[in-house]
Amino acid sequence: MLFPTLSFGLFFLLVYAVTWSVRGSNEWRKILLLLASWIFYGAWDWRFVALLIGSAFLNWGAARLIVLQPEEAQRRRKAILIAGIAGNLMILGFFKYYDFFLEQLGDVLAMAGLARDLPMMQVVLPVGISFFTFQGMSYLADVHARRLAPAALLDVTLLMSFFPHLVAGPIVRGSDLLPQFRETPRLTREMATMGLILIVWGLFKKAVVASELSTGLVDPVFFDPGAHSRLDLIAAAYGYAVQIYCDFSAYSDMAIGIAALLGYRFPLNFNQPYRALSLQDFWRRWHISLSSWLRDYLYIGALGGNRKGFRRQCVNLMATMLLGGLWHGAKWTFVIWGGLHGLVLAMERIWDRYRPDGWPRLPRILALLLTFHIVVVGWIFFRSDSFTQAAIYLGGIVHGGQASAVMTPLAVALIFLGMAIHFTPPQMGQRLALTLRGLPAPALGMIAGITILIIDAMRFEGVAPFIYYQF
Amino acid sequence: MPHETPSPLDLPEPDLEDGSGLGWTSGVIAVAALLLLLTNAVSLRDWINEQPPGPLQARASALADGWVAFTDGIGWGKPRAMLHEQWKRAEGARFPSNEDQPAADQR
Repeated sequence: MLFPTLSFGLFFLLVYAVTWSVRGSNEWRKILLLLASWIFYGAWDWRFVALLIGSAFLNWGAARLIVLQPEEAQRRRKAILIAGIAGNLMILGFFKYYDFFLEQLGDVLAMAGLARDLPMMQVVLPVGISFFTFQGMSYLADVHARRLAPAALLDVTLLMSFFPHLVAGPIVRGSDLLPQFRETPRLTREMATMGLILIVWGLFKKAVVASELSTGLVDPVFFDPGAHSRLDLIAAAYGYAVQIYCDFSAYSDMAIGIAALLGYRFPLNFNQPYRALSLQDFWRRWHISLSSWLRDYLYIGALGGNRKGFRRQCVNLMATMLLGGLWHGAKWTFVIWGGLHGLVLAMERIWDRYRPDGWPRLPRILALLLTFHIVVVGWIFFRSDSFTQAAIYLGGIVHGGQASAVMTPLAVALIFLGMAIHFTPPQMGQRLALTLRGLPAPALGMIAGITILIIDAMRFEGVAPFIYYQF
Repeated sequence: MPHETPSPLDLPEPDLEDGSGLGWTSGVIAVAALLLLLTNAVSLRDWINEQPPGPLQARASALADGWVAFTDGIGWGKPRAMLHEQWKRAEGARFPSNEDQPAADQR
């Protein structure tokens, strides 16, 4: 059930009406939201609802066991934490990486002259597994570190299953959502107005900008980069940068907006990422819930961050980004993408440390352009099916011809629009919400209806799944 | 409630505190839904036609066809049709240098 479809719209209207009708009992409200979340998830594959429930039980049980240990039993508490995290990683590893690692093992054995038929299983990837396992692990780590009190089974299950963020984030941490579950939510005009703005804005970015660029420009060029000119390859690389931003940020916007209409507050996940002046800055603006997760639990929590010296800090950065790349999927192109980001992040740190005194910093515009183009090169690996395809793509940019076969005025306009979004004043949406919240309901309803009508008239026939569904 | 992380829902001014949030929001949603039902009947019909065939779907499809004919008859479907036509024209536009090229996506 995709957000920008009528099926989801009708499902949401029903959930909205039912959950707000039981305002008297917060527990019943949460039970209804949980059932709705399982129906939402079951619309893809009912078998994986059991996996979702099992995963919630695992994290709830492990957290309970941790807090049941006496204060002085630090080693036992840590052992339970490690066992719980290992359980989550085994779920993720089996469903997402089993066949990939077996393929690599097969290649290594073949190179060593020990080729074997390995038991490949063609494992079906449950939608959103990377998101809910990361959410479960952060809950466990927070309870272990006493940053978070253990929650009731219902709350932990709802934290991991709550349908607005279930399949493509944001990765909402327990510390953000569990305190909200303990109180009966309240819907204010401000939350509702901002929520509606985010839903409509997300709908536009996904159904119009991302879908149009994907179908008209990016997909045909990336399908066969060798058959396209330099101009097409460059346009499709910029087009993909805009497409993936408009696609993924649209999901986050709609998730935040939908949760807001149900009375819950989700954190910011994107903040005009292509106006970043360095790659470090980029990761403070792009998929913020994942980058802050990797920073807090992997880079600092597990690897030690910068506590073990500068050289180790650079190695930790690289390791974090390589694993962050692998998180996106079981493909070497994702690892290369993560490695590129890790390498540039480490180089930025080295340059900051060893830059000769008196050397000027790059002007802001050059820093912005340099950062953006490093990100675009990374996206070529991210989008390509294989390393060979990415190499052909990059080679074509250098050696390809000039004539364009696929660029259209509309695609160019949408690329410019996608970039222009990044240079609008900060908090423009919030300012608009402050203006609209004072309108009578029929007036805002008319505005919302007309805007959705315009978007629906522009949208591409059929909606492709969000890019991040595959992760 | 204090929050650890920023959210787009945090507005730079205090809430109105008039306590009418739920009723007001429900009104907004109801008016928007009604407007779309009147002006975007083709989307409803297309969605119904995509559902698995059966007696209920066939009945709903017939009702939706009737609803589209009714809203078109009173002119409520016209704005969407005109906008869609304009958008298709924009999609079909080509640069002078590749006007002879077919659309890349074979739409």
